Amino acid sequence: MRVLTLLATLFLSTAIAQSYLPPLDPNEDITITFYNYNLASAGLGAQGTQRLIDEFMEANPNVTVEGVGVSSDQMISRIQADVVAGRAPDVAQIVFDDLDFLANGLGITPLEELVAPEELAAHYEGFNPRGLELGRLDGSTYGLAYTFSTPVLWINEDLFRAAGLDPDAPPTTWAAVQAAAQTIQDATDAYGVYVSVFGQFDWMFQSLVLSNSGRVLSEDRSELTFDTPEAIGAVQMLRDLRDAGLKPDLGFNEALEAFLTGNLAMYVQTSAVQSYLLSASQGVFELGAAKLPAFGDKPVQPTNSGSALFILTDDPMKQRAAWELMKFATSERGYTIITTEIGYLPLRPAIVRDPAYLGDWVAANPIVEPNLAQLENLSPWVPFPGPNYKQMALLMMAAVEEAVFGDAPVADVMLDAHERASALMPR
Amino acid sequence: MPALITIGVWIYKPLVQTFQLATYEWNLLPFSPKVFVGLTNFERLLTLPDMQQAAWNTVLYIVGTLPFSVFLPLAIALVTEDLHPRWRATYRALIFIPMIVPPVVASVVWRWLLHPTNGVVNLTLQNGFGLDPISFFRDTNIAIGSIIFISGWKLIGFATLIFAAAIANVDRTLLEAAQLDGANRWQSITRITLPLISPTLLFMALLSVLLSAQWSFAYINVLTQGGPRGATTNLYYLLWQYGFGTFAVGWSSAAGVILFVAFGLLAWVGLALIRRYSFYDA
Repeated sequence: MRVLTLLATLFLSTAIAQSYLPPLDPNEDITITFYNYNLASAGLGAQGTQRLIDEFMEANPNVTVEGVGVSSDQMISRIQADVVAGRAPDVAQIVFDDLDFLANGLGITPLEELVAPEELAAHYEGFNPRGLELGRLDGSTYGLAYTFSTPVLWINEDLFRAAGLDPDAPPTTWAAVQAAAQTIQDATDAYGVYVSVFGQFDWMFQSLVLSNSGRVLSEDRSELTFDTPEAIGAVQMLRDLRDAGLKPDLGFNEALEAFLTGNLAMYVQTSAVQSYLLSASQGVFELGAAKLPAFGDKPVQPTNSGSALFILTDDPMKQRAAWELMKFATSERGYTIITTEIGYLPLRPAIVRDPAYLGDWVAANPIVEPNLAQLENLSPWVPFPGPNYKQMALLMMAAVEEAVFGDAPVADVMLDAHERASALMPR
Repeated sequence: MPALITIGVWIYKPLVQTFQLATYEWNLLPFSPKVFVGLTNFERLLTLPDMQQAAWNTVLYIVGTLPFSVFLPLAIALVTEDLHPRWRATYRALIFIPMIVPPVVASVVWRWLLHPTNGVVNLTLQNGFGLDPISFFRDTNIAIGSIIFISGWKLIGFATLIFAAAIANVDRTLLEAAQLDGANRWQSITRITLPLISPTLLFMALLSVLLSAQWSFAYINVLTQGGPRGATTNLYYLLWQYGFGTFAVGWSSAAGVILFVAFGLLAWVGLALIRRYSFYDA
């Protein structure tokens, strides 16, 4: 009997061992397609991403990576269409709000089933654990955290000085932001503050709600909770800024342009625009950065915008090639390219002070420090569940805009949207 | 017969399938469950908070585009008709240029021009006339006008070309005969030219009514994404946002059916009007 158990265990363990990905065969050429949204934006990371791919192919001569640029808002519908047409990409960079859909809708294979535990552990060595957590759902890792940015309070230091404020002591709470905005608007012609929270992605809204001790989705993912006083309070803060005449009614791009031309003093926006802001503000004004402000003394909990890498192919050899690409992209060298050439966060904290990687660069560019510091208390950008996840996010974000810029009471608008969106939750 | 089969396979079969798919909650993936939900998709779409506003805006887009697709181009075509051929070609070429600018490029250029703090238009208003800056794409009362103006501006060249071609086809002998009979310029336009180009006029008007809400799509998408607070959204944009953002085939098929029925009715009415009022020089 004992022999039988032993045999069975042996058989099972070999079966499991065999199911992991085979190593790359140096005699076999493999081509994989890589959908990437940085490749789709000439100004924001296409070059850096291509460099990442080129260096990977140099190190792995028998793997060819075909990078395809697909914009982030069209990524998921493009992949769906390609899956239906039977020509899905092998690996893709996808934003986190699609995580639930990828895991439960598309049914992709978690990394734990593809890669041996020792190999995974070796790669996770030195990786920011909070970052890794963001690619996980129900205990399985579906995506490997890749590019990350956090909401940063960008500052026009010249306007601060013009209004008699100290740009080296930027506001740390929303109340202080409001006061500073008032001072600046009284002293200059510029607008006070713009929080770039609107649009179809809800990650920054989630940052605000979390920082006001709320959530948009319950912990067990069964209920939408953006009808709570905490969530409504976060929206009310923005409405108060607007009612005080300190937050101009600008569109997403208009706000960016207003900031770049020196007409806006404080601008809360993703750190992903860092390289762009740095080069565009040259000679126009001195750019500063601070952490996301707090709601009173509540702890700030920034979420990330950004993406993970997902393996979509079923072919083991291509899965292996994709995994090797993912490992390189998230290696010390990979993050050095990503941080210096695109502007996303390095998810390997040790390389930040290491002169072999980012050390010199960070010393020369202290503006990245607030972004780096926020990695310490990062919270996941929570994806909505079920087939109607995008529609729920749309309803919620439309309500946020209505509540901030409209005339109806904030609570009325948010409660109405909550009721409508809740009807779309999976039954 | 092959033509009939082709139409059947490529047009009517998908049409019938659209009606079917509209009753499911499904994402088109072969391995994911296809849940029958009856008319829920229609109910969800028709009760969207922005639905009423989108329907009203669609009417505004239709009415607002007509001056740019019919009245202005007609006037330009008539006025330039009498010019020396070389000047006529120059004027019409100038008017045609916006037509060949890609919509996204045109949108970005207009966004720069109309920017509330840095745009040429607003700087002129501020410095030249001492006015407050106007937020052309964020003021709920103005934004839809800005979008209609930009899509209309793109359209004038095309419509002018169509009308110019129609006017050129009017039989010269009729105009000369009228002149001999003592008709003035205005009389020959209203009594001879306009009736003779009425099929083109009505066709262009119908095209404009049916498609104006679609023509504005690119500008809405680049400039306002339907905002501020739904002020520039229309039926197409709203249904596209909710239906096609995720490839949710139930939502998008239901959206397609709603548009098909609504604009099908409109087209039917329009065609009846054309038959009733067109005048052909037989």
